[in-house]
Amino acid sequence: MQSISRRKFVALTATGIAAAPLASMARSIGGAVTAQDVVDHIKKNIGVEWKAETVDTFKAGDPSTKVTGIATTALATLSVLDRAVKAGANLIITSEPTFFSRSDSPTPPVRRGFGPAGAATAAETPPPADPVFTAKDDFIRKHKLVVFRLSDHWRLRTPDPFAQGLAETLGWSKAAAGDPGHISIVEMSLDALVAHVKRSLNARGGMRIVGDPKLRISKVAFLPGSTPIQASIATLPGVDTIVAGEVREWETVEYVRDTVALGEKKSLILLGRVVSEDPGMQVCAQWLKKIIPEVASTWVSAGDPYWRPTA
Amino acid sequence: MSTLTAGEIVARVKSNLGFPWRESTYRDTFKFGGPDTVVKGIATTMFCSYDAIRRAVEAGCNMIVPHEDTYWNDRDDVSIVSGDPAYKLKVDYMREHDVVVFRIHDHMHAQKPDFIRVGLVRALGLDSKLETAPQSQHFTLPEMTLGELAASFQKRLGDKAIRVVGDPTAKVSKLQVGVGYATPPINAPDVDVVVSGEGQETDGLLDSPEYVLDAATLGIAKGWIMLGHSISEEQGMLEMAQWIKSFTPEVPVQLVRTGEPFWAPK
Repeated sequence: MQSISRRKFVALTATGIAAAPLASMARSIGGAVTAQDVVDHIKKNIGVEWKAETVDTFKAGDPSTKVTGIATTALATLSVLDRAVKAGANLIITSEPTFFSRSDSPTPPVRRGFGPAGAATAAETPPPADPVFTAKDDFIRKHKLVVFRLSDHWRLRTPDPFAQGLAETLGWSKAAAGDPGHISIVEMSLDALVAHVKRSLNARGGMRIVGDPKLRISKVAFLPGSTPIQASIATLPGVDTIVAGEVREWETVEYVRDTVALGEKKSLILLGRVVSEDPGMQVCAQWLKKIIPEVASTWVSAGDPYWRPTA
Repeated sequence: MSTLTAGEIVARVKSNLGFPWRESTYRDTFKFGGPDTVVKGIATTMFCSYDAIRRAVEAGCNMIVPHEDTYWNDRDDVSIVSGDPAYKLKVDYMREHDVVVFRIHDHMHAQKPDFIRVGLVRALGLDSKLETAPQSQHFTLPEMTLGELAASFQKRLGDKAIRVVGDPTAKVSKLQVGVGYATPPINAPDVDVVVSGEGQETDGLLDSPEYVLDAATLGIAKGWIMLGHSISEEQGMLEMAQWIKSFTPEVPVQLVRTGEPFWAPK
């Protein structure tokens, strides 16, 4: 996918919304675009072989539903679904789960020790109805939404759309023209970079930093999503800082802390998984508009789930 | 001068546990040095960070008993990290200072009570009279807002990078305390708030952040307070140090705090 500037990106998004009703009207003469059609287009254009084992499947709704609009997001929360409906979308494309687990089942998981504290509940006993699961399922049914997860294949694209989205949102599109995972920026201190990242991504309380705030940063790598220690070990030596989504604290956090304590000029900026994937789903909306121009695609930001007390 | 060895100390740990040692553990083993090292002092610590090792050595301790891994992965598989310069420097330091590392994780959590949980409950200042049943980790607190509860925990523990999900104005009273990565499910009907160390944000068995965000949208009072893995589990390493001290009178035993690795932007 070609890299485009942030300004052009915004302009395209706005035009897309305005032009969409006309486009879909034209299309409806020849036949409506269904959710299944959209997914078929995605599979044909994604550029990577579609996996047999994948989380990228329909999670809710009827694939034969006529699509009124597409909303992309990093996390299909009720708030995101509500904003999508208000924007006229009925197909939601999310990079993370909808029903609170990898299995994306609309009923709560059965777990050992489920139930009141200390109660020994047999594993085969189904859990009682959960008001949050039920309300979300009801909302999706009421608005006849279709939800499709696009995660495994979206992150396999080259260049990585999640890194590209972060680079564009941070104003580093030009620097990211080659590999958006590794970027050279105008040198600044770690604390100035952190302030810029926080402001650009509308982060609230999810950001956590390891390293000297006065450290000078010019080489940045992105590790969006959730990454194991192997990714950090392979990446850190070549850069001044890693901007990551989610890592295990006993892995990458301690690795960077030790590296810093042993005298290396390194740092780590943790965004949280959802915040790190949010801009990449904005890129997804733009891509969908190209491959399915007859339907409006808009990005609905999931935002930063976290806050911290203002002590 | 005591001639007590690391092997003798580990044997005493095993015989004082009160239950059989699980030989199948990959976690609770020597990570550096071995049983023959003569021990001058013992330091318990949460993460076996380079900084914690150095401060232990400076305090006269050459046996480190960490709760967590030494080589930045749970199995302490050195093949993942051995090409990294930080690995070599860390190992060189331990060799030069005759350090021996023996991790105690699985057996610590299996103890009754689990020192890690006892330590966190103590550090959070939770009154045992408010616990629904002994060691249940469920507490019924006087009703307050999620914002007030989170602020009180941050004040007690001093963790700058505490993270909270949920409506800050939600009235909550039923708290379940978890530690480290063992974060209890937030969807239990008898729980308003879970406090723990760290938890996977999404794509797990129950994605608590998304669940709490949606609960907040629906006006259901739920909260998820993440203290940080180190902060949540290092409290109990004090209880661990006191326990080891009770059967190793020959050498000094102390807690070396790992502390919070993070800072948080304004």
